Amino acid sequence: MSSIAVLNNEPAPAPTARGGRAKAWPYLAYALRRLVQAVVVIVLAYIITFLVLSVVGANPIASQLGNPQAGLSPSSVHKLESYYGVNKPAIDQLWLGLSRFFRGQLGISLEYHLPVAHLIETALPYTLKLAGMALLISLLFAAGIAYGSQRFPIKAVRGVLRSIPSLFLSVPNFVVGLILIQIFSFRLHAFDVLNPNNLVATICAAVALAIPICAPLCEVLIANLDNETAQEYVLVARSRGLSERKIFFRHLVRPSSLPAVTMAALIIGELMGGALIIEEVFGRTGVGTVMYQAVSSGDTPVLQAVVALAAAVFVLVNLIADLVAPLLDPRVELIGPRSAGGLVRGLGRGFQAGNRLGTRPHR
Amino acid sequence: MSYITLPERSSVSSSTRKLFAGMPPTVFLAFLIIVIVALWAIVPSLFTSHSPVTAVPLDRFESPSAAHWFGTDYLGRDEFTRVVYGTRSSVLNAFVAVGIGLAVGGALGLIAGFFGGLTDSVIGRGVDTMLAIPAFLLAVTIVVALGFHTVNAAIATGITSIAIFARIMRAETLRVRQSVFVESSYLQGGSRLFVLFRHVLPNAYRSVLALSVLQLGYAIIVIAALAFLGYGSPPPAADWGLLISDGQDYQFAPWLVYCPAAVVVITVLSINRISRWLRNTN
Repeated sequence: MSSIAVLNNEPAPAPTARGGRAKAWPYLAYALRRLVQAVVVIVLAYIITFLVLSVVGANPIASQLGNPQAGLSPSSVHKLESYYGVNKPAIDQLWLGLSRFFRGQLGISLEYHLPVAHLIETALPYTLKLAGMALLISLLFAAGIAYGSQRFPIKAVRGVLRSIPSLFLSVPNFVVGLILIQIFSFRLHAFDVLNPNNLVATICAAVALAIPICAPLCEVLIANLDNETAQEYVLVARSRGLSERKIFFRHLVRPSSLPAVTMAALIIGELMGGALIIEEVFGRTGVGTVMYQAVSSGDTPVLQAVVALAAAVFVLVNLIADLVAPLLDPRVELIGPRSAGGLVRGLGRGFQAGNRLGTRPHR
Repeated sequence: MSYITLPERSSVSSSTRKLFAGMPPTVFLAFLIIVIVALWAIVPSLFTSHSPVTAVPLDRFESPSAAHWFGTDYLGRDEFTRVVYGTRSSVLNAFVAVGIGLAVGGALGLIAGFFGGLTDSVIGRGVDTMLAIPAFLLAVTIVVALGFHTVNAAIATGITSIAIFARIMRAETLRVRQSVFVESSYLQGGSRLFVLFRHVLPNAYRSVLALSVLQLGYAIIVIAALAFLGYGSPPPAADWGLLISDGQDYQFAPWLVYCPAAVVVITVLSINRISRWLRNTN
């Protein structure tokens, strides 16, 4: 289109108001459809968690309340029993929990007799700090490794850098955490394991969390850079006499990193799962620790709330990414729910269809 | 890896030679490592003369040496022996996990892709939902419901991978379904079921197999992580994740963490290398 306009040396016709509206409608329809899908998925995620915990796990709230070792007074047992409706059929309990969930009530902890929302709120800042730092570190690592794999002057080093993502995929995050604790705490005494909120300790925890997340980012960045480097416009740029450095930063960085940006949503899921392990390894407070303690004390409502909330966060971040992508890049096609769950194609989002690891793009 | 060599009717030796001829040295090394690990799982007693359970109080916390390759633990047990004997549970359960994901996810993806329409939509929403719950949290939830045991950890890991298998299988099925030979099979009077099992399934499963290998490595890591948190079989089991977890209590004996961790990393790395090679040669 644009090349024809250039050849004809005519100004492109200004888009009419009608044309603009005609373009807006499909987007609104798409947005609405994605929104409905998102709500459906959140409801289903709550139901699946409930089925797993309360039906497969055979009414754990009732058994926990009936446990004489839990040290509950008869009155509080009675109060919690009526709150959760433990004597009603499972479907009623599900409805009770689900309707409360959408009103923001996450239930009451069996262990602490506090609202679950309060427990999560108290722990959330620590987890957000850790996860934010991990995200930043993984982006920096990924960018550095991808840059090195293309531009490092020695070929052998470029090869080594290319194999780093698959090494990162093979190392469990708790192993990275334990190695960092061994080095920085026990050898270098940079922090005390009993004081996990020290800055060095937080950075170590964030690195351990970041390593497995960094791997898929690296793989996508490197694959995209390879793909873009083979494009003709790079040849044109080179023949115009641009330095390789300029070609990289002016022409390659943007198209190669955009698809990686859309992976951010998947990374959120990995961050939340990883936080459970890493917070435990480093003895930190956080949502992961709340969940870990809930598992050991049989505090089912806390588990239910954390898992359902994690799914909701994941879905919402994905929704935002899907809604923003077509606005950022007009090449993106809007496709319906039938093909790959309303994914946005054309941006290499096939990776998202790939899998939940998000972690392992396979082509 | 029989599916690489078997389909060819030529003699096994020539096809094996062909296989090794084009194989990069790193892939060969990866296969070698996997064979050793497989042997550890099948006949652990062949690789070590020590006992994985008998305590030797005089030999506590010995650092790695010729007699004890990975050192000894807090009861004086040989750590290498513990790792070798832990292989069976760690690796076998990873196979269980992949088997569940492959069977259930593969079937769902095949059905969704082949029948389309409402079936596809319903399965698609289910898959979306399973992808929405962070994998590790879902695995923990399932283990909590089933009880703490390594087999349950494997089942949980398998269930969390159903969605991925379903997605890949669906995409492959859609690809095959649109091909000319499927159309001609219909024209020759092939029923839907005949086409499904005779044409679509055999052509769709190859890339799913490459994914299975990759998932095997992932399953080893997830099961190790669950065992590390104490959600696997309790001691005296010797799952790799549990060994690492035991070792972290003794900071003066870091080999108790490093050695089992190195085994996990090298095994998974080899599996990933093989998967990548399979994907590229397909």
